[in-house]
Amino acid sequence: MTLARDTLLLARRSLIHALRNPVWLFVGVSTPLLYLALFAPLLKHYIAHGNVLDEFLPGILSLMAFASGSGQGFGTIFELRAGVIERFRVTPASRLAILVAPILASMLMMFVFDALLVAVGAAFGFGVHWLGLLVLAVLLGLLMMMWAAFSIAMALLTKEISAFAAVINGLNLPVLLLAGVLLQISVGPEWMRVLAHFNPLYYVVEASRSLAAGSFGSDHVWQAFAVLVPLCALVLAWATRVFRTAVA
Amino acid sequence: MIKVDEHPDQVITVRALRKSFSGRRGKTVEAVRGVDIDVLRGEIFGFLGPNGAGKTTTLRMLTTLLPIGSGTAIVAGQDVAREPARVRARIGYVSQIGGADDLDTGRESLLLQGRLYGGDAASVAARTEELIGLLDLGDFANRRVATYSGGQRRRLDVALGLVHSPHVLFLDEPSTGLDPQNRANLWERIEDLRAAGTTIFLTTHYLDEADALCDRVAIIDHGRIVALGSPSELKREVAGQSVMLSLRDGADAITQATALLEPLPIVRELSALDGDLRLYVEDGGEALPALLRLLDEHHIGLHSINLAEPTLDDVFLRYTGRSLRDTGAGEGPEGAER
Ligand SMILES: Nc1ncnc2c1ncn2[C@@H]1O[C@H](COP(=O)(O)OP(=O)(O)OP(=O)(O)O)[C@@H](O)[C@H]1O
Ligand SMILES: [Mg+2]
Repeated sequence: MTLARDTLLLARRSLIHALRNPVWLFVGVSTPLLYLALFAPLLKHYIAHGNVLDEFLPGILSLMAFASGSGQGFGTIFELRAGVIERFRVTPASRLAILVAPILASMLMMFVFDALLVAVGAAFGFGVHWLGLLVLAVLLGLLMMMWAAFSIAMALLTKEISAFAAVINGLNLPVLLLAGVLLQISVGPEWMRVLAHFNPLYYVVEASRSLAAGSFGSDHVWQAFAVLVPLCALVLAWATRVFRTAVA
Repeated sequence: MIKVDEHPDQVITVRALRKSFSGRRGKTVEAVRGVDIDVLRGEIFGFLGPNGAGKTTTLRMLTTLLPIGSGTAIVAGQDVAREPARVRARIGYVSQIGGADDLDTGRESLLLQGRLYGGDAASVAARTEELIGLLDLGDFANRRVATYSGGQRRRLDVALGLVHSPHVLFLDEPSTGLDPQNRANLWERIEDLRAAGTTIFLTTHYLDEADALCDRVAIIDHGRIVALGSPSELKREVAGQSVMLSLRDGADAITQATALLEPLPIVRELSALDGDLRLYVEDGGEALPALLRLLDEHHIGLHSINLAEPTLDDVFLRYTGRSLRDTGAGEGPEGAER
């Protein structure tokens, strides 16, 4: 099957590029650890029971998935400038493969960083529920795929770095603030709680806390999948379309 | 409508091709305005035109990279709009900016590109080595592309377009950035490809390149083809020889000289070109003394005088009213910008 074959070929290339960039690897590892080291202690006073990491670490995992998705378009801008995207588009390779291969490579890296974060967190008292984390990984993958595809499509449409950065950063901030990544939205006023329900990241963050605690039955979990699965499919379809036509 | 079957040797058939871009503030740029092209199998067809003429836009439509605005394009027997995947499998494309990846080595780029065209690992590896030899990439094929010189990178770009031995090859300004020796080498490679039956469609703003390489040339300006034919046919249309007079005393002298020379029967055409006068005469040897005598009698001083056989630039001037050189394009690689 050409989709699988092309995806594998292109994802391998993206992965090699990532590994050739040690600075990037360092940042990837250190950012979540910094959150744990410098932010988690501040939360201690707000959480009545249990380990602070049980509350906080799942949110950081969601944040990483979101951030790694939104950053994907920067690479696209560079490859667009260098003519690499056209070089791929002029071959019969599957358009979907050209789109998702770099996302899958980044996702693999993300899961490695996630595992590292969980290991460090466990050492400081984070309670690990294996099955819950596994299901969470699927959810994080969906979130990252969705937001990365959106980011790439925006990169293709804006075509230059400053316009792209403005759009993606302008969107990131409200999405992050309205998701309860750092502090739970439930402590906020009514209008915030209502608004949050239009934010896909909010569902992931809520579900991530339930899954990390091992409570699969929670409404948060099925709601998150019910929102993320169709949304991811929709964004992928749109981004593939953009790939086919809007690249000028 | 066009029937492709009537011309089995016709590899590219383009009719009434148009494309406009909507720019900022609602201004539209009509990049391509009604282009017709017929390219036959085994031909080297050249697109000659100044910056912004619509060369790249046309090529990107023919190579499925840009949706066609309106009109039809049939490439390698397939309709570009309806069967893009089939077209892609049969064509190669080297874009103006290239497409090699800084983080890869040249060899890695070639291997990946070959696989994306569907080749199996063994045959792609063999083809890669062949191309490394053919385009003389051996010295740097295992280095990261980021370290390449402009010319080395350009040769890799060309190799990337050839990995799958396409039937039709599109080259967008292939020799930009190459030194004279590598340019000559590339021309030879292009001739070899033609000899092997490949059809080649290239763009250039080097007159000598179009002249030396192309079987037929279309001159494109402002999105329209203004002249079409073999280089020698085109040059023959510009009769006689061209005389370039560079006058000493500016605008007044130009007006005076124009009034003086235009009525002469030996002068076929005359045009003023910022500070210079260009005229076409039947026979330079006969005309020059007469021209000089006349100017001298009226005390019109000369900086320089130049008599030449017509070039494609003269053809360009004749059809567009501008010199190709004035538009920023040059005669050779020295004038090149990338
Ligand atoms: N994506 C785009 N959006 C808006 N305008 C465009 C786009 N692509 C090309 N144009 C415009 O279309 C016109 C033709 O451009 P094109 O790149 O085809 O010229 P060209 O003949 O290849 O020139 P050059 O010799 O400089 O490469 C130019 O005015 C250019 O600015
Ligand atoms: Mg161009």
